[in-house]
Amino acid sequence: MIPISRRPLLGLAAAAAATAAMPREAHAADRFVYANNSNFDTLDPHVVFDTARVAVRLNFYDGLYRWVDNPPKLIPWLAESHETSADGLDWVFKLRRDVKFHDGSPMTAEDVVYSIERILALNLGAAPLFRPLLEAGATTAPDAHTVRFRLKEPSAIFGSLVPDITVVNSKLVKRNERDGDWGRAWLARNVAGTGSFRLRRYDPAVGFIAQRFPDHFAGWGPKYLDEIEFRTVLETNTRVLGMIRGDYHGTDGYMTPDQIDRFRASDTVQILEQESMRVFHFCIHNARAPMNDIHFRKALVHAFDYDGFINDVLKGSVVRNPTIIPNNMWGAPQGLEGYKFDLDLAKAELAKVQAPLRPITIGTLAGFSETEQAASVFQANLRKIGIEARIESAPWPTVSSRMRNKDQQYDMVPYWKSTYYADPNNWLGELYGSRYLGGGNVSYYSNPEVDQRIERALVSTDQEERQRLNEEAARMVFDDAAGVWIYNTKWFGPYSKRIAGIRFCPVGSGQDMRWAHFA
Amino acid sequence: MKRLELILSRLLWLVPTLIGLGVITFAISHVIPTDPVAILAGENATAEQIAALRTQLGFDRPLPVQLLAYFQDLLRGDMGVSLFSQQPIAEELATRLPATLELTFAAVLLASVLGIPLGVVSALRRNSAIDHALRIVTVSGLAIPSFWLAIQLQYLFAMQIGVAPLNGRIDGFGPEPVTGLMLLDSLLQWDWESFWGALRHIALPAITLALPAAATIARFTRAGVLEVVTSNYVLYERAMGLPGALVTWKYVLRNALISTVTQIGLIFGVLLSGAVVVEAVFDWPGLGAFAVISIIQSDHRAVMGFTLWAGAIFVIVNLIVDVLHTLIDPRSTR
Repeated sequence: MIPISRRPLLGLAAAAAATAAMPREAHAADRFVYANNSNFDTLDPHVVFDTARVAVRLNFYDGLYRWVDNPPKLIPWLAESHETSADGLDWVFKLRRDVKFHDGSPMTAEDVVYSIERILALNLGAAPLFRPLLEAGATTAPDAHTVRFRLKEPSAIFGSLVPDITVVNSKLVKRNERDGDWGRAWLARNVAGTGSFRLRRYDPAVGFIAQRFPDHFAGWGPKYLDEIEFRTVLETNTRVLGMIRGDYHGTDGYMTPDQIDRFRASDTVQILEQESMRVFHFCIHNARAPMNDIHFRKALVHAFDYDGFINDVLKGSVVRNPTIIPNNMWGAPQGLEGYKFDLDLAKAELAKVQAPLRPITIGTLAGFSETEQAASVFQANLRKIGIEARIESAPWPTVSSRMRNKDQQYDMVPYWKSTYYADPNNWLGELYGSRYLGGGNVSYYSNPEVDQRIERALVSTDQEERQRLNEEAARMVFDDAAGVWIYNTKWFGPYSKRIAGIRFCPVGSGQDMRWAHFA
Repeated sequence: MKRLELILSRLLWLVPTLIGLGVITFAISHVIPTDPVAILAGENATAEQIAALRTQLGFDRPLPVQLLAYFQDLLRGDMGVSLFSQQPIAEELATRLPATLELTFAAVLLASVLGIPLGVVSALRRNSAIDHALRIVTVSGLAIPSFWLAIQLQYLFAMQIGVAPLNGRIDGFGPEPVTGLMLLDSLLQWDWESFWGALRHIALPAITLALPAAATIARFTRAGVLEVVTSNYVLYERAMGLPGALVTWKYVLRNALISTVTQIGLIFGVLLSGAVVVEAVFDWPGLGAFAVISIIQSDHRAVMGFTLWAGAIFVIVNLIVDVLHTLIDPRSTR
């Protein structure tokens, strides 16, 4: 029998107690830790294009231009400048000469060409934005520091899209290609970028740790983060508790008012508040009866209790937004008041509906309680005017899949339209333009008058004209009551009080860490 | 010989079991109105782009053809590639297995250490206050939902007392993986800081899983002991003047543990195939968390890979339990 001494056990207990008694701080004193609400199952910047994993694209990679601040503005980044031909088809970008990849090799125009060809070939991530505009092989490198894009059609929004051409190290990726896969298997687990941080450790089940890239072309100010860690923390409650405990220095800024209140009551967390560009609305299936009747839609828009939902349910944490274009985006109709909650008006409109009424189905997003609350508020008021609404809750992938299918789409879906690029087309064109039917236009709305303006705004290079066209089109869609537009989200970025320098931009949701530092 | 026959017959049954499981999972995956290709293509993709991607991935083929191709790949040892990460699913499962394995071992060990003595004491003090109290505890242990227990433990030990971390497997990424078992790897590398970190992190999820398991083990142990303790050979041993503790822990327990071992084996199988809820609450990077993410993303191949893994584990664990039965009670092979 092995004699067991009590001394080691006491020692272990003492060590455990000492460890437990250590101040509860983030994992490493000089490492910024972010609790991310989505998993990083791939590091490939050309495969995913969601806001949940934007940290990979922003911190490991760079684009030709970059979105910063709020409202978003474009600043030259890998490119110093660009010129557009008179017909709007040729876009020529002059690249900086001092850009290095993380392995020390210089970035050239060949890398940009390879990157856009890779995006088009993989047909994932940001590809749907570029494929209507660019053919494979239409991008050339006249010299090592010049890139020329030859578009299929003139495009006013191409400039807004170039930040999403994240540039990869073509030589490195090519060396790791397998069976013509464009290095996809390799780049899922590795980084080949020029970005502000370089990969140190990665575990798809956990997240990543990255170190500052001292040779980044943009240089560094006097204060910066040496190391950043993005961890997957799927449970919202755990993210909130972890922030309050000091385990994390930052997390997502789109939480419910209750959670924001918990942060505000905490000694460790600061809330950075900004109006974002994320419009919450009920998407209406405009092509199905009875929603294809404008009177029915008008009944719908007057049957939602906007003020009650915003002030009572959401405690005034958001801003009323009368159309699909965010208030703070140019092109949003000026002076337009949103529809009013008025059940008498709704009843009057309903009386004009020709088609027989039937129960309508609202598809809500399981796990996103706000969509369920909004649907319940709507359901109660619709009942008062004689419309029965059935609420069906499902995970986002299921809801999203059904929305893409005209026959399977719900009658209405409450959800947020996020910022992928800061141009009115991101909201108005993609949701109501006929060119996007079967794609982003899940409202199945089609109006030649609106289309005419959207199409013109997509090619015009005159900013004033573009603004006017978008405003006009937005007013037409508003008059048609093609959706129930409720609010523009406020971003309540929860960060540790030890953190400063966060530059929030709606496109990156405050996850571009090159500007942040410990206070 | 009987034992060998048992092993061979169970292994043969593994094949149709997994085929059946695969067919059912495949069918369910495709009945759900979720289109993984549309999800993969992204919010901005047009119908044409989605259709092109569907063809590219082979998802436009008839379902029986897709299923057949999947089984052909399986025969070659290829579980396919995750739609989203583009990594081989076998590799994804293997990467996450150590985390689940470690948690399972910890939970089963804790549950056994708690459950067996409690069951014995409860049986020996039948209908006493201790027995009644233990019964209430074990019934509660079974009735409490694991997610609720997990959150309460987080509040108490992580937020209020502050002795345990909230979630995760370790702060940061821990020691360089050797076996993938964090506790073992940190010991192998003589990294005591990581060892204590890993130990503190595993405590709450292991307790969450162990409590209901301990309740089950205690109940089965109690029933087993009660059955054996009144048998003639035990009366004889007592009549012969053998010490009570020796009779209980050597002669009674061995015969009483047969059903307990079965239960421990089943619990082990259930946990090894992924403690989905607990792993999700504690952000434990194991198979359960992988299953949750795969289901959310409608990554059909990943879901099928996980299901087949869970099914195989269950069959194999059952087999091991049966073999253990024959070792504990040789009469069962006759």
